[in-house]
Amino acid sequence: MSLTQLRPSPHHEAPPVEPSRTRLWLYRFDIRAIPYVFIAPFFLLFAIFGLFPIVYNAVVSLRTWRLDEPDKDGWAGFANFTKLLHDSDFWNALYNTFGIFLLSTVPQLLLALIVANLLNRKLRAQTWWRIGILLPYLTPVVASTLVFSVFFARDNGMANWFLSLVGFGQDHPLDWRAEKWSSWIAIATMVNWKWIGYNALLYLSAMQAIPKDVYEAAAVDGAGPWRQLWRITVPMIQPVVVFTVILSTIGGLQLFNEPMMFDENPQSATGGSAHQFQTIAQLIYKVGWKDLNLGYAAAMSWALFLIILIVAGINAGLTKRIGGDR
Amino acid sequence: MKRLGKASAAAGLAAALALTGCSGQKLEGGDKGGSGTITLKVAFWGDMGLDKLKAEYEAAHPNVKIVLNSGEYNAQHEDLQKKLVAGSGAPDISAIDEGFIVQFRSQADKFVNLMDKGGAEYQSKYLPWKWQESMSPDGKQIGLGTDVGGLAMCYRSDLFKKAGLPTDRDAVSKLWPDWDSFINVGKQYVAKTGKKFVDSGTNMFNPVLAQQPVGFFDTSDKLQMDGGPKVAFDVSMKAIDAGLSANLASFQPNWDQGFKKDQFAVLACPAWMIGHIQDTAPDQKGKWDIASIPGGGGNWGGSWWTIPAQGKNIDAAVDFVKWMVAPEQQIEVFKTVGNLPSQPDLYKDPAVLDYKKEFMSNAPTGQIFAATAANLKPQYLGKKAGPTRVAVEDVITQVQQGKLKSADAWAVAVKEAEKAANS
Repeated sequence: MSLTQLRPSPHHEAPPVEPSRTRLWLYRFDIRAIPYVFIAPFFLLFAIFGLFPIVYNAVVSLRTWRLDEPDKDGWAGFANFTKLLHDSDFWNALYNTFGIFLLSTVPQLLLALIVANLLNRKLRAQTWWRIGILLPYLTPVVASTLVFSVFFARDNGMANWFLSLVGFGQDHPLDWRAEKWSSWIAIATMVNWKWIGYNALLYLSAMQAIPKDVYEAAAVDGAGPWRQLWRITVPMIQPVVVFTVILSTIGGLQLFNEPMMFDENPQSATGGSAHQFQTIAQLIYKVGWKDLNLGYAAAMSWALFLIILIVAGINAGLTKRIGGDR
Repeated sequence: MKRLGKASAAAGLAAALALTGCSGQKLEGGDKGGSGTITLKVAFWGDMGLDKLKAEYEAAHPNVKIVLNSGEYNAQHEDLQKKLVAGSGAPDISAIDEGFIVQFRSQADKFVNLMDKGGAEYQSKYLPWKWQESMSPDGKQIGLGTDVGGLAMCYRSDLFKKAGLPTDRDAVSKLWPDWDSFINVGKQYVAKTGKKFVDSGTNMFNPVLAQQPVGFFDTSDKLQMDGGPKVAFDVSMKAIDAGLSANLASFQPNWDQGFKKDQFAVLACPAWMIGHIQDTAPDQKGKWDIASIPGGGGNWGGSWWTIPAQGKNIDAAVDFVKWMVAPEQQIEVFKTVGNLPSQPDLYKDPAVLDYKKEFMSNAPTGQIFAATAANLKPQYLGKKAGPTRVAVEDVITQVQQGKLKSADAWAVAVKEAEKAANS
């Protein structure tokens, strides 16, 4: 009862009620709305530069839009998509994209894991090594690809020089661009070189969060380094592995710069004399800006978008299994 | 066919610039400045010899300000295409090269039709094929020609000497009145030296095709492969089968090295190619000379001045373009950067007639290239000529890579050409 007596009388209480309501409202606004306000710029920008192009692309993909035949503009329904199903160039590009994707992503992530595992030990000049592996990532892709395309040149290329040291192709040097397998290897090499260090650093940061006593316990139980890597490290950094798998799936399926600049005739965007290494992104560029068929190119972009969604989903699912459930 | 500006290096670098986004500065539509002056933005690539002309024109027209925007060859064309689609942002005046003219000609509505601006009187001044190439099928003229490449056969006189062939340019020209005799000379050269003769089969296919009365497409835009393309394709196959080709793709690092390592002895070259040879192999000064092209006529590259219709100062732009293509200015440009005019009357000008190129053993390049350009008969370039050419070139490359036998190649070329024509 004494507490109630300490309260000010209602008479004195009345004036401050108004401001406190405002304050309450402000407080509620602060708690409930401010986070949205703070995050809004991202979504606004995403709506303008992300969502709008995707939606607009979908609209364009349903239209006939040819720059060289302006009279033919109009709705096309799903004609562009039906054409896609019977277009051997598209399937060839899809095949190439997946081929290069497998040749680049799988070795890339495995090697990154091994590199990260090595870097996770006590080494001399630790920082130097860690920064060193990131250098390829910092190199502009155009610069490195130009160097690689000289490296993989038919005459006087360094790759062929190495091969000739082991007695291969002295008389007929390998024309790296001529065949599917050789051009895929060359392009995958460029991708791997660039991204191994980046992924290794991601893995490394995740590995450092693993408590040391887990390894000690495993060592006591007689698990060797290889077994420790696969049974402890990989499951414990699984979220990061899933992240890198999704990122490299997206990146791999959108591969453009490397095949583009590896081409002998980059302006044509044909990806080799018989489209040996033409990726989907390259084909989209060719159809849109060389064949001037924007509607069809938009349909291809949408198909690529869907394919990436599906493949990234499958890969994420598979990777989750590799980690914990075994 | 592409025409790389003198300054522009390998096409790889070109793509590099495109990918890194160096597509020239952004241009706002030409708008009137505060003090009633008109700003004209002019987009082109390389060096078209405009710096001096700009100052001259501005002095004579105090109310006009010229802004020059030189970019990279491919990027400038792609930028123009994007601005045309967007409907704004294009320069007031844009140079367009032969390799892109068909693409833009078929969007004639997006350009000022110069026939409405007193362009008709220019027709008789130009090489007929030059006038026709920039004209849309329904008779709209989108551009006034500035330069042409012409096409001659550059050859290494030092390598010819070693192979026991004549080295004097007139004697060499007499060696190959037509392409068959050209191939025979090549066989002699290869037998004697064990080296390759030409850089690639595609650089034979293109000049031969340009000399045919009908190219890939007839005037109703129907693909017809059995005429001109078949003739040109057979010539390139014959050369490859005879082992004449070094199989080097133009403007690639390998090709540039081919110059230095004497991997080929002849090169089909337009006027602007000399700059490239000079940059690539500066120590070969005096080792190159120029003979006429087998078959007589030829052209590779050359450009037009066009005026996008979205501009705000169209009349001022038209005046400036007409001034730029006037004889005095065309000769001025030839003297500054060596771009050969496309108006045959100017070929009689002493500046062109007497011009000799020191690097090419003092060959009279003005005369030689003018003659090849004047000898070329007009040929209709179809709407799909660009992609079709790339498709057939790729088949020739496949033969050179050993992926395809020359006997089977024609059928593949027809198939690929049909696909490209319907793309």
